[in-house]
Amino acid sequence: MHAETLLDIAMMHSDTLILKARQGDQNAQGKLVQLWYKRIYNFGYKFFLDHDLAMEVSQKTFISMCRGLQGLQDATRFKSWLYKIAVNYCREEARKMKGSRSLSFDVVWNREAEDSPKWESSSQRFDNPERQLQQSELADLLQQALMELSEEQREVVIMKEYEGLKFREIAEVLNISENTVKSRMYYGLDGLRKILTKRNINKESIGYEL
Amino acid sequence: MSYKPDEKEWMAYLYGELDGAEKDKFEQYLLGNPEAQAEMEKYKGLRSILSAVEDKEVIAPPIVVTDARQRFIWDIPYLKTIASIAASLLLIIFVGKLTGTQVSFQGNEFKLSFGGGARPSEKVVEQVPVTLSAEQVQEMINESLQQNNSAIAATWKKNEEKLASSIRTNLAVNSSKIDRLMRQASLANQEQIGSYIASLQSQNIQQVKDYFALSATEQKTYIENLLVDFADYLQQQRTNDLQIVQMKLNSIELNTDLFKQETEQILTSIISSVGNAETKETKN
Repeated sequence: MHAETLLDIAMMHSDTLILKARQGDQNAQGKLVQLWYKRIYNFGYKFFLDHDLAMEVSQKTFISMCRGLQGLQDATRFKSWLYKIAVNYCREEARKMKGSRSLSFDVVWNREAEDSPKWESSSQRFDNPERQLQQSELADLLQQALMELSEEQREVVIMKEYEGLKFREIAEVLNISENTVKSRMYYGLDGLRKILTKRNINKESIGYEL
Repeated sequence: MSYKPDEKEWMAYLYGELDGAEKDKFEQYLLGNPEAQAEMEKYKGLRSILSAVEDKEVIAPPIVVTDARQRFIWDIPYLKTIASIAASLLLIIFVGKLTGTQVSFQGNEFKLSFGGGARPSEKVVEQVPVTLSAEQVQEMINESLQQNNSAIAATWKKNEEKLASSIRTNLAVNSSKIDRLMRQASLANQEQIGSYIASLQSQNIQQVKDYFALSATEQKTYIENLLVDFADYLQQQRTNDLQIVQMKLNSIELNTDLFKQETEQILTSIISSVGNAETKETKN
């Protein structure tokens, strides 16, 4: 679903970069951060639907990455290893939030809506402003629907649908069996479908945007 | 059809991670099952809706990792050598302890003993009465200084004498040699010099004569050659000039011929035109 960008290709062929970074090459570490920051941030953002939390998680993830790279035995496992760190930090932050209960997702959602108008942040490639607005509204609705899923399902859906990890890789990240991943994905998608039907969003109703 | 895929296979197929025989089996199942086909379409539709969420653009802030954690203590330069020195010192101390080595530095004495044998020597040190007064020490120092001085003076004197004697003998030898040479030089008398100069003069005259003779013949041949060459050159030049003149004359001749022809043509054309005019006039 994503067209392969130069960045994606660079990410796929970053083995030598990882090896250098593992030997303590700070330049290589910096490049790895540049390559992967957007991915981890977007994972965090979809997980929390909150910019600040996503930034927090991303920064912690990459600090951990730089410190822990020396312990990474297999460079080919770098991707799942990185997401594992990110998932752990996401869970930690989620736990903290549950403990404090100071802000619910609705609050986060509303604040976000007020703070950053979508015309400012999302990438613009449609000329029609009306369509743009509809597109961003749909994206918001989908994000909200994602937030209604359980944490376990949300992680899997984001990693599969938006981060493009293989089921095997997700299993590695979460330290569970591949079948469990597929099962969570299934129920996650099922849940999303129900939420979207409840809100009367289907392919026909938004057909003009796709 | 007994095959009914479970949720895992559904997901694997939806995300293109089912392959080989399993994929074929699933596709067969879909073909023979319109309901399942519709279900799959719904899933695909859901995926296309989900794709409306785009990545947010973000700029990676600088990640600062403090160096202290990453750097192991072994990485500090020279630490290894320092550590090894410290370890060997420790080993020496340990072995020393085991063998009962005693090291003492007392009263200008450094003592190293194994197996606890240092004590008697300490007693010896104790037996030496330290009853020397400052004056006595001063006297001793002075005495030794005087002795030293006299010894040095004696060696100096000896050296001086030796040097002086060797210089004198050398001088004597050299001066005698020079005297001898001078005498030989003065012995050479006037006659010898005169004959030498005469021989030199005759030699010179002969050389100059030979030189003139040689150069005269060479010059002669050279000038002869030169004259011959010059004659040839003149001859050549003349023929060239003659040729040129001939050519010019020829071209002038040609030109005059041409001119002649042209004038003839012109004349004939004038004459004929005049003739025509006359005939026309007569006709009219």
